[in-house]
Amino acid sequence: MATRAIVPPASPRAIDGPMSRLLEAFARVPVAAVIRRGEELPRALASQVPAVFFVRAPAFHLGPLVWAVQAKHKLAFVHIDLIAGLGKDRAGISFLAREIGVNGIITSHSSLVAAAKAERVIAVQRLLLYDDLALPSAMAALDHARPDIVEVLPGVVFRSVVDQIRARLPLPIIVGGFITGEAQRRTALDAGAVAISASTPSLWP
Amino acid sequence: MRTPDISSALMPAVRDGSSMHAALELGYRQLLLERGNLLALLGPLTAAARRGTAIFVNLDAVEGLANDSAALAFLATDLGFSGVVSVKSHALRDAGRFRLRTVQRIHAIDSTGLETGLNGIVSPPPYAIAVAPALALPLVMTAIREKSSAPVWGTGFVSSAEEAEAILAAGASVVTSSRPDLWRHFAEIPVRG
Repeated sequence: MATRAIVPPASPRAIDGPMSRLLEAFARVPVAAVIRRGEELPRALASQVPAVFFVRAPAFHLGPLVWAVQAKHKLAFVHIDLIAGLGKDRAGISFLAREIGVNGIITSHSSLVAAAKAERVIAVQRLLLYDDLALPSAMAALDHARPDIVEVLPGVVFRSVVDQIRARLPLPIIVGGFITGEAQRRTALDAGAVAISASTPSLWP
Repeated sequence: MRTPDISSALMPAVRDGSSMHAALELGYRQLLLERGNLLALLGPLTAAARRGTAIFVNLDAVEGLANDSAALAFLATDLGFSGVVSVKSHALRDAGRFRLRTVQRIHAIDSTGLETGLNGIVSPPPYAIAVAPALALPLVMTAIREKSSAPVWGTGFVSSAEEAEAILAAGASVVTSSRPDLWRHFAEIPVRG
């Protein structure tokens, strides 16, 4: 098993408990299961993954799915940018945090990271690497927003930018996006990710 | 009047007068204006287009243009540009009406994002599909081919000639890059089939 530097968040906050629980769990099983459709969930629930990322979930039918995850002592995260039916705003974040009780929010928007932190859920900010010209401004936005975790996508680009990101942002990194095989999983973890996020069930131990 | 077509497997991505000049000096007859202020480059861009350079512009990232038909008419008629690149289907449909070549940009971030991008492919079919980042192209080529037979470009995060070659070998017909070392490497290689 490769050694991975795990950097805790800079200041103590109410989410420190869940956050250290998550990082400890990732040290054992460094995988988050990405769920795109409800029928994919049972397999994730039966696996050892400590976290489930719901992307493209229907906001107003999300409760039972999130609670099923939590009943298995896993943490449930929701990607708000792609969620159907919910405002991508403070009210939307509030609904997920208070009404549904999600453990964390995933977003690429700095303003939503701030809202998630205000609601005391774990804030995962996505760094979308589709354009090297946009990288400096994306990193500046992350630096400013200070999420609890950075999720870097797609995995194939991670190795070429990991040094730049780590020099600038001392935050735990999850790598996702087209991680479909063991070799890609290994590469991401060896390059310093605390975990991978994957929708491929064969990668859920 | 028919605007010029693609002539090389490498498309220099430029953002200002000096990078544009450097690419033209190497003999390139094609440019992608990827960033920067288009209105500050009107003189050199028009002159290059008039001399037969195929100029494509990233509608989503350059400054100075409105998101409307007047801007597209200006690009096509006044400037003589060859085409536009955008993730937005409606912008590409409008551009097609002005006889601009349409390059549909798809963000290959994860399988969910790819699905969205593929579902947004315009009809009539685009002139080309640009996959960003280009490094992901080998992972998504099969999925793209199930949806479209348009030529595929790779754009973004290409840091070496070896990576560019691998992307071309995976089925890309063009790689765009803002790196002058890659421009020099590919200056002599013609476009593939």
